[in-house]
Formats: sequence, structure tokens, C-alpha cells
Amino acid sequence: MDPREFDRVCKLLDEFKAGRISRRQFLRLAIGGSTTVLTAILAACRPARPEPMVAPTPTAVLKPAATPKPAIEPQLLIYSGGQDIPTIDPSDRTDYSIGASTRAMYDTLFWEEGFPPELKPMLCLDYEVSDDAKEWVFHLTDKAIFRDGSPLTAEAVEYSFRRTLRFRKPRSNALLPIMTEESVKAVDDYTVKMTLTDPYPPLPRVLTQPIMDPKVVKDHEKAGDEGAEWLIEHEAGSGPFVIKRWEPGTLYEFEAVPDYWGGWPGKGHLSGFIWRIIRESSGRRIALLAGEVDIVDTIAVDDISLVEEASGYHIEEHPGFLTGYIKMNNQREPTSDVNFRKFVAYAFDYEGLVTYLGGHGPLLTGCLPDGVPYHDPNVQPIYRHDLEKAREYLNKTQWKDGGIELDYVYVTGLEFEEQIGLILLEQLAKFNIKVNLVAKVWPDMVAMSTKPETGADMMMVFTGYDVITDRWFEDQWYSGVWDRPEGGGYPSASFFKDQEVDALIMKVKVTVDEAERARMFKELQRMIMEKLPEVPLYVMPNILGFNDRVKGYKYRGLIAVDFWPLWIEE
Amino acid sequence: MQLRYYLIRRLLLMIPVLIGLSIITFVISHLVPGDPIRLAAGPQARLEEIEALAREFGMDKPLHVQYLNFMKGLFRGDLGRSMLDHRLVRTDLVRYFPATLELVLVSMTFAVIIGIPVAVASAVYRDRWPDQLSRIFALSSISMPRFWLAIMLQLILAQYLRLLPVSGRFDPRTPFPCHRTGLLLLDALLALDLKSFGLALKHIALPAFCQSLTALALITRFLRADVLETLHKDFVMMARASGIPEQIILFKYVLKNALIATVSMLGFLFGFSLGGSLLIETVFDWPGVGLYAMKSAMALDFQPIMGITLFIGFLFTLVNLLTDAMYGVLDPRIRYG
Repeated sequence: MDPREFDRVCKLLDEFKAGRISRRQFLRLAIGGSTTVLTAILAACRPARPEPMVAPTPTAVLKPAATPKPAIEPQLLIYSGGQDIPTIDPSDRTDYSIGASTRAMYDTLFWEEGFPPELKPMLCLDYEVSDDAKEWVFHLTDKAIFRDGSPLTAEAVEYSFRRTLRFRKPRSNALLPIMTEESVKAVDDYTVKMTLTDPYPPLPRVLTQPIMDPKVVKDHEKAGDEGAEWLIEHEAGSGPFVIKRWEPGTLYEFEAVPDYWGGWPGKGHLSGFIWRIIRESSGRRIALLAGEVDIVDTIAVDDISLVEEASGYHIEEHPGFLTGYIKMNNQREPTSDVNFRKFVAYAFDYEGLVTYLGGHGPLLTGCLPDGVPYHDPNVQPIYRHDLEKAREYLNKTQWKDGGIELDYVYVTGLEFEEQIGLILLEQLAKFNIKVNLVAKVWPDMVAMSTKPETGADMMMVFTGYDVITDRWFEDQWYSGVWDRPEGGGYPSASFFKDQEVDALIMKVKVTVDEAERARMFKELQRMIMEKLPEVPLYVMPNILGFNDRVKGYKYRGLIAVDFWPLWIEE
Repeated sequence: MQLRYYLIRRLLLMIPVLIGLSIITFVISHLVPGDPIRLAAGPQARLEEIEALAREFGMDKPLHVQYLNFMKGLFRGDLGRSMLDHRLVRTDLVRYFPATLELVLVSMTFAVIIGIPVAVASAVYRDRWPDQLSRIFALSSISMPRFWLAIMLQLILAQYLRLLPVSGRFDPRTPFPCHRTGLLLLDALLALDLKSFGLALKHIALPAFCQSLTALALITRFLRADVLETLHKDFVMMARASGIPEQIILFKYVLKNALIATVSMLGFLFGFSLGGSLLIETVFDWPGVGLYAMKSAMALDFQPIMGITLFIGFLFTLVNLLTDAMYGVLDPRIRYG
């Protein structure tokens, strides 16, 4: 036997002995990862499982559960976020504050670790997928329990997904294109089957739905609202934390569940945490250095050195997924001309932007940020400041003498977006092109982004889809998302329409073969850079400030943190 | 006219004022470009989802119907729901208003307690050092950017000296013992909880100081001028000639006569401040009406915008009415007409 395989089985045996996994899970996991052939044989012999199925690529590894009793006294952590938590309804939205709090109170099928984030089993211990990636069967742990001690079963998973699909709110955006309510079905107590409307190989990546206790939700139903009003400020989960205090607009306190079914992965764990809202970045930094809070998010670039110089504090700066593009209206002159768009891309002073950002914001190498699966760092062409090339491309257009005006729209009050506009203004002025800086409030920009007729010539937009590669393409550069009666959203504000790109985006979505998918995504990146619907700029870094006493933090692409693995050690 | 009839007449007059205010706010908030429904629905929302959300909030109907529906709800005490988080506007106002009220009360009290003696001293010692000092203080209070001063005070008093907390209403680690009025200082006193009172006082000190500066400067300068003017009136000379002690002349006769204009101004400032101070509440994360208004305005969340405007409008007219009623108490010669 392979020594790594032997180690893995030994670890599983330890888990089984400690009572953290059942005998059934131990047997499945011990055999499940051995060899593909063995798994296939086992799958074929298992009567409860549907066919045809193949073994999935990820190895079923237990979530990093560990010490049953923490050696370190649990303490309260105070986190300061710039964002309020307007709702914690698990079927509603996915703002970063909502995501951080729901992850603390609810369990999900999978858990992500590391950067780029790697999928780890959580409620789901393993799964099978059909050859066409349309039928998925998920096997759940039988250890998970809700607050009242009742088991978290497949019925809860079915209910949670169906509720979200019924509500059709932003949380369902990634699910609606591939499934309906009927797609999710509990086969038995611990098996869920999902039958998709279209093949979708990266399905586990989008299964971030927090699982609710259906009984608790139904108990708080008012006028058929499925508990919607109650769940704005209450939870019905099985996660490691519960709500202790809820003071909207001020702070939210969560208390640890000491005997959380999933255990605690670190040397210790928190007794709870407080999400305290400090809206101003300077206020967050001062609060950190005054010892009032333990972690702060979205630290301003100017404040980094102040935190790093202070003894007992440190900064964690990592590239995120929130990516800035100058969206250009591809359906209206002059930005409908690809040569004009390339002219803008070559005229932009990228180094000037890097200098302004103080080096905190890596430039994009291609149309996707690093960390997104299939990202090609060597994609060509790449656009960098080159006035000769800019002139060359401008000469290919009918506006070679300039004499035109373009609007650059940005969010009012966002200094870095204004700075990007100023760089454009300065550089395009060299070609006798005037850029008007138009500051607007976000709802106005959202309304403008609906149709090409109302869209701006140029608009600064930040988008991010984590590791779901096809969504990066579909939501931004697939014409179907805006060329429809209801119009589009801000990610598609460049109103790009190209039959070749459209066809390939749709094709890659349903392609199961891994090598073929990689080839297609590579080709798509090349095509986007060649046709250049917008100017890809930079990735917004996630910058957090920490008091050194906070331990257990591991970056995984989030603006905030996961509280479950953290502990405090003086 | 008796005070009672005067008050009834003014209260009745508030109705058309508030209706007018509601129409203006409604029209302006709907004329401003932007699509809050699409924003709330999310970027990938389909037509049916957008339409469903519009139906849910009655925004699929003509403007006049929307307005009438809002007013119908208003008479039932229903100010609607936020489109973004579905919270009841009424509940949120009840939650946010005590913080603003407390901040305004403390800052106005501070301004009055400091402002009146400084103004009197400034007038009595005209063009001497107390007067010059108060002039410098008043001018710098008015001209200094409030957010800059707030951040500087946070840096010095919170980060470096660690004397006062950076922001917030109360120590996050300590749950407040009781919520009776929502005014933390008062609640702590009612509960005879001096520790909580001290904590609440430490938290309100910086925002209240920053908030009070405008009122403090205005009181100092306006009252100084009125005291100076009153000091030269015949009745003061008569009082002096009669041998009445200077302190009694100053605080019993001069100040009472000089205060009328200041009271009027204070009433206006008080009513105005109840709308919440956007800058102070933002910098100090003071969970008041100003912060709530800003959040709603940035998202074009119509229902809270309407609710906040009407609520503040109502309070503003009420405070003005009370101020007018106080004139008669200060100067019995004033008749209500």
C-alpha cells in the first residue's frame, strides 16, 4: 500500500475511534479514495446509488476537525467590518458580511481552504457524478445536528436549496441557470440527488447554500413568507456559532457552540465573536491600534505602514477576486470600434495607477485574476502603456484627429475610481480626446447598465466570481445576459456581443472533459483579450489588520474571515 | 390669544406642512435617476424577478397611486419596508432615533452650559483677553472641518492616550443592562448603574463635543452681541443707579432679556440636529438617524427616505412650535397672534 494511502486510512481510523465519523462513513472513505477501480466496483455494488455514476475527482477528506477539548481558554474576538449585516436570511444575498456571518451559523455541503480555494467536504462527505455531469449524488454525514439536537438530514438540504430557488434572490443567481426546485431531491436520510437542467461540471463550487432547519423556519412562518421576516435577524442553522446579540447598524454578537458537531480545527477556538461596524477605514485602523478590536477588514493602503510599524499588530494582504475593469460601450461609437478600444487600452498609464495604489493592487495579466481556475498568465495580447501603439490603433479609426468627448462614469466618493478617470483624462488629452468625469451614485450606475442606449461610454466596474470560471465569462461577456427584454446588469456594462465568444461560453459550460475545458477557457481568454470589450485593470487586494494574539487565520480569497478556525492566544 | 388656542392652531397648520413635505420628498426621490428595484434584485435578475419585486413594493403602479398608498399606510402608522433588507421603517426609526436624540441632547446641553457663561464673560470683558479668546474659539469652531477634527480627536484621545473609545455608543464587550428609553445615559441612571453610565458617557463624549461646536460658536457670538446691546439699555442703568449688585443685574435682568434671540436660534439648531449629523454619526459610527438616512439615500431606498423625511419634518416643526411658545415665558410682553 502507498504510504500516503496508509496514513490517510490511519487518520480515518483515528476519526472513527474518536467517534467523529460513523462506521459507515469510515468504510466508505477508507475504500473510496483507494483506487478508481475499487471505487467503481463499490459504487456498482451499492444498491442505493443511482446509475450511471463515476467516482468524482476530489478525494473525500474529512473537514479538519480535531481537538475535542481546546487546550487554550476560548476568548471573545472583536472583528471590525466596514459593512453592515443587513440580513442573514440564507436565501437572500451574499454580501461579504452576510457570507461571513452565515458561514459561522450554518453548515454547507462543502468548505473551502487555501488560495486558490480548494474544496473540502463538510456536510457532504463524498459525491458521485454522471458522465454527462447532469446527475449528482451527495452523501451526507450523519453527525451533523441542529440546535435542538435533531439530525441534519437530506430533507433539510432539499428544503434549503428549494427555498432559495423559490425566492429567486441574488443567492440563487448561480443555481437558477442550471436547476429548478425539482432538481434537488432527498433520496434517503443522508443522500441528496441533484438533477441539473444542463451539464455543469463545477457544480460543487456553487453549492454554498447554508442549510436551514426546516422545522424552525416553518415554526416562524408568517402569512406564508417561509420565515423570511424572522430569518432577517435569527438563525436556523447547525454551524459553530449562534446569535447572542443583534443590534442592527451597530454590532452583532455570536456565541460559540462548544460541542459543535464538526469540532474545532485549531489548537483552541473562540468563545464567540462580535461583528462591530466601523464604517470609516481610518476609524477601523485607530480601533485596531487602540486595542479595541482584534481584526479589521478593508484597510486603506495608506494605513498599511501604520499598522505594520506598530508592535503587536500585523497586516495580511492577499490578492482577492474583486477585479476592476473599465467597461466600454461596445454598441455605441466610438467604443464600438475594437481599434478605438485598443487605443484606450494602450493609452492608459498602468504604471501611474500602480504608483497611485502604492503597489497594493496587482495589474491583471489577462482578463481573469490569478487564482481563478484555468487562468492563463501568458495570454496574449497584453496591453500596457505604449503611446506609439495607441497612436497606431487610433489611426485605424475615423477619430484619428480626436475632437471627441467621452464620459467616464464612476461611483461618487470612490477616490481610486476617480483617479483612474484622471489617468484616462490625462492620457487621452494627448490625442485631443476629452474625458468627462461623471460621478454617480451606485443605483444610478446600475440603472444605466441595463441597456446600451443608456450605458456610459466608459464605466468603472468591479466584479468578482471567486473560482467559478464560467461565470466570469458568462456574466460579463455573454451577450445573452444583456441582450434580452429586461436588459442586463452592471457586470455586462460593456454590452459585448460576439457570436464566436457566445458559442464558446455556452459550449464550455456543458463540457465535461477536463482537458477540453482547459483548452476552451484558454481560448476564451485569448479571444477576450483580442476583441477587448473592456480594459482589464487590476485586482483589489484584500487587506486585513490583525492583533498578533489572533491565531489560526488562513487566507482563502475572502474580504472578511472565517471565524470557525480562529482562536486567541496571548 | 391664549397659549392653548395658539398651540392648537399651529398644530393644525402642521398638517398641510407635512403633506407638502411628503409630496416634495416623494416627487424628488422618484425623479432622481436610478433603479432601486434592479439594485435590490441583483445583477442577474430576470424580468419576472424584477417585476415581482416591483409588485411587492407597489412600484409597478402609477406615481400618484404609489403616493396615495404611502399616505394610506402612513395613517395606519405603517411607514413601509426597506427594499434592501425588508426591515420595517417604523421599527428602524424607533431603533435609530434615541441615539440621535441622546447625542443632540448632550451636545446642546454642553453647548448651553459652556456657551452662555463664555458669551456673558466675553460681553462683560469686551475687547479684553476673555473676549479675544472666545472669538478665536468661536471662529475656529465654525471654520474647522468637523470630520478632520473628529479624526484628530480619535487619534489623540483614543489611539495614543487611550482615554476615550474610538467610536460606537457602548463597550461592545459589555451588554447594556437595560433598555427603557433607548437613551443610554438616562437608562443607566434609572437603573442606578453608575458603571454603565460612565461607559456611555465616555462613548458619547467625543461625538457630542464635535457635534456641539456649531451651537457653541453661535451661542457665544450671538449672545455676546445681545448681552452687549442689553447692557446699554435704560433699565440696566436704572438698576445700577438703584445699587442692585452687578451679578444680579447681569444674570437676572440682562441675560433674561438677551436670551430671546438665542433661544429662537437654539430651537432651530435643535430641530435641525434631530435630522442626524451625517458626518459625526459616520465618523463615530453613531447608530443614529443620520447614518440610517445616508444608507437609505445611497441605495435610493424610497420607503426609508420618505419615512425619515416625514419623521424629521414632524419633529422640526414641533420643536419650532415649542420654541415659539417659550418666547412668552421669557418675555411676558410677547402676545401670541
